[in-house]
Amino acid sequence: MSRLLWVEFRRFGARRLVRVTALLALGGIAFGTFIAYTEQFRLASMPDVPLGTAFPLVVIGWLLGASFIGAEWHAGTVTTLLTWEPRRIRVLFAKAIAGVVSVFVITMLLQVVLAASLSLAASLNGSTAGSEGWLSETAAIALRVSALATLAGAIGFAFAAVGRNTAAALGAGFAYVVVIENLVRGLKPEWSAWLFGENAGVFLLGPSNDFPFVDRSQLGAGIYLSLLAATLLAVATLVFRTRDVN
Amino acid sequence: MPILECKDLRKSFGDLVAVNGVTFEIANGETYGLLGPNGAGKTTTIRCLLGLVRPSAGGCRLLGADAPGGLPSVVGRVGSIVETPLLYPRFSGRRNLELLGAIAGVGPSRVRQVLERVGLAERGDDQVRTYSLGMRQRLGIGAALLKDPELLILDEPANGLDPAGIVEVRELLRSLGHEGRTVFVSSHILSEVQHTADHVAILSAGRAVAVGPVGEVLRAGRSEGLLVRVDDLAAGLRALAEAGIAAATDDGLLRVELPATGAATVTKALADSGQYLSELRPDEADLETVFLELTRGTEEGAR
Repeated sequence: MSRLLWVEFRRFGARRLVRVTALLALGGIAFGTFIAYTEQFRLASMPDVPLGTAFPLVVIGWLLGASFIGAEWHAGTVTTLLTWEPRRIRVLFAKAIAGVVSVFVITMLLQVVLAASLSLAASLNGSTAGSEGWLSETAAIALRVSALATLAGAIGFAFAAVGRNTAAALGAGFAYVVVIENLVRGLKPEWSAWLFGENAGVFLLGPSNDFPFVDRSQLGAGIYLSLLAATLLAVATLVFRTRDVN
Repeated sequence: MPILECKDLRKSFGDLVAVNGVTFEIANGETYGLLGPNGAGKTTTIRCLLGLVRPSAGGCRLLGADAPGGLPSVVGRVGSIVETPLLYPRFSGRRNLELLGAIAGVGPSRVRQVLERVGLAERGDDQVRTYSLGMRQRLGIGAALLKDPELLILDEPANGLDPAGIVEVRELLRSLGHEGRTVFVSSHILSEVQHTADHVAILSAGRAVAVGPVGEVLRAGRSEGLLVRVDDLAAGLRALAEAGIAAATDDGLLRVELPATGAATVTKALADSGQYLSELRPDEADLETVFLELTRGTEEGAR
């Protein structure tokens, strides 16, 4: 299993999409830092920054997770891999672990780079006044953002594993966020306690009036989202184990 | 104990019966050809052997292990390619092999050896997407050889190759057989199999219509005969009929229903009636003829 896991980490790291995404994100960070520099960024407002990056990082997590297995189905390399390691559960677990761990590491690194860049901007042409405790507060939020991106990656991975296609997973995610969540909020608001979006909000920000139907703590929302991702991965594993590979 | 066996293997996809009760076995060290037209069930049979699809009934065993349940214990001794080898197009050939090899603990030196063996040493660092189909096929064969396997399962290894490439693959298969490996190769290119395999199974519409040593299958597929060239075919036919020898015209020749040992009888019968032959040779069936004759009926039945 460790060999397989190592191979999957190498595959993830060598993917063009990962590199392009990281480069684009770094470009965004550079641009953001320039804006912060010109706007005289205050270090005390740093804890708000990870919240602003949450949405793009969750999307990146979803995309990288879904495409990691989706691209393999598209290229047909799953067939080749299974002729080398026929234990399908191992194969899928190794891929899932490599995918989600990599998403976590990448999103954390991007946030670290962003925070470092903004700190430099604040010290060069901004303010560091009143910024006591910013680091621990920012780190806690950044960890939650990366955890959320990782969960999104796991869910995207599960969708693409079942749909055998990245586009299927992206389409399903888009339809869920745009159609289903909005329908539920409009027609059955009391069900919104079970929506990904509401729970993600509580997980990041804590319980608030913005999420009136979610009667969960921050930890509870995190656990709920983890269980959701684990359930979808379990379904994907079952499907991967039983379906023919043609 | 057979190295590989299929017993009453069946596989259906909904209403489509892809493999319908196929049975054969392969002994250690044999080179075995699985023949059949496109859609005959060759690739599905191989997918069943490799655990990629689950049989609807019957079963397969590789190196004594049931497929798919027992495959993990023997997969390290089996090298395979299924249809066109599917590798990462944006990785180099070398990187693809290194990644696959890493799963089985195969190191870079073995990757180098294999790339040299399949003639890709110079292009090993190029992206696979820049390879021709033939080069991909050779890389796939290289991947199958990485583990130095006892049993090779190759699905259409000469697919997409030019004539020179086909000869190269044939030589490679022959050398692998000489090394004592068991080679199971599926193909619809009959010369590829006739020149390399000891045994064959011919599939048609999911059924095995002939199974056995190549010689036996050739004999069973077509009656023995002699081909005779004479100037006057009608007179020759008459002369043979008068001598009680069954014959018919066949593409400008006379085909006589006698084994090669009957050549003297034919010569005498023709000479006695003043017909002098200019050519006499055994009518040796090739695999292509047998294949076409054996598969025609079942293909038409399937339609």
